[in-house]
Amino acid sequence: MADADKEERLKSALWYSIGQFVDDECVKQNLNATPQFIGALTELVYRQISNTSRDLETFSKHAGRRIINEDDVMLLSRRNEGLETVLKQVLDEMKAKEGRPAVPEKKVRGRPSGASAGKGKGKAKQ
Amino acid sequence: MPATKDTGPAKRGRPPAFKPPRPVKSAGQKAAAAPKRASAAASRPASAAKKAAPSASKRAPMTTLISSESEAEDDLSDANADEEMEDISEDDDRATSTEATRDPIPANLLIRLLYEGFEDQNTQIQKGAMELVGHYMNIFVREAIARARFERRGAGKGGISDGFLQVEDLEKLAPQLVLDF
Repeated sequence: MADADKEERLKSALWYSIGQFVDDECVKQNLNATPQFIGALTELVYRQISNTSRDLETFSKHAGRRIINEDDVMLLSRRNEGLETVLKQVLDEMKAKEGRPAVPEKKVRGRPSGASAGKGKGKAKQ
Repeated sequence: MPATKDTGPAKRGRPPAFKPPRPVKSAGQKAAAAPKRASAAASRPASAAKKAAPSASKRAPMTTLISSESEAEDDLSDANADEEMEDISEDDDRATSTEATRDPIPANLLIRLLYEGFEDQNTQIQKGAMELVGHYMNIFVREAIARARFERRGAGKGGISDGFLQVEDLEKLAPQLVLDF
């Protein structure tokens, strides 16, 4: 019951923000959306988020990490080239903002350190 | 607390509907769609209306919290959100300048939802990766709306078209959208 309740509340929060967003967009684009549309969209986004989080977890596990990094997120766009381009652009911009050089293909920027720390913990226990 | 206990079983009865937040949203904002919902509400006993009130008031603090968060992060996301806008809103030029002002899902909520989805408690996510996921979901939602609008336009040529995005539009686009993302 507590679990279901929590899920309900999270969905409500999502519903609210999606609703706000859709309303904003509709005003801008001279459109209208039924409340049912917003509800259905909320459900869709909710499912998409839970799928995404599963995927990300699996990707990082597959790489032997416990911490999800940007590479895992980039894998989300593996089936959609346009999406990959956009995300890569965003990623490069983020890096540029942090003062790191944008590495176009393989990002070899020391993130393994975090991963190896995770591994190290696991090994230390055994 | 009793309010949620009451709404729970009532919802169990029907298919996996998205009932809960409706009172909060609909009462204030969607006067136009009122007739449909009014008929739906009428089928329920009068006590249902009573139930809606407390749950709405209970949710109020939660929602206000979120709205303040999303406003706070507007400033942060402006710069990054700019170029993906152009891809999506091809045919509406006035949208491009203002569209970047808001994220559909506040960052804190998204983090929370992601962590709910993790099976392993120890899984964590980097800050940069989180930001990227935010953009990903941003694109997802915008794409859904853009495609729904496209569907609506196509449907409008056949007969009545009132520019209302319907669930059926979403039903048509959902399979391809999910395949694309």
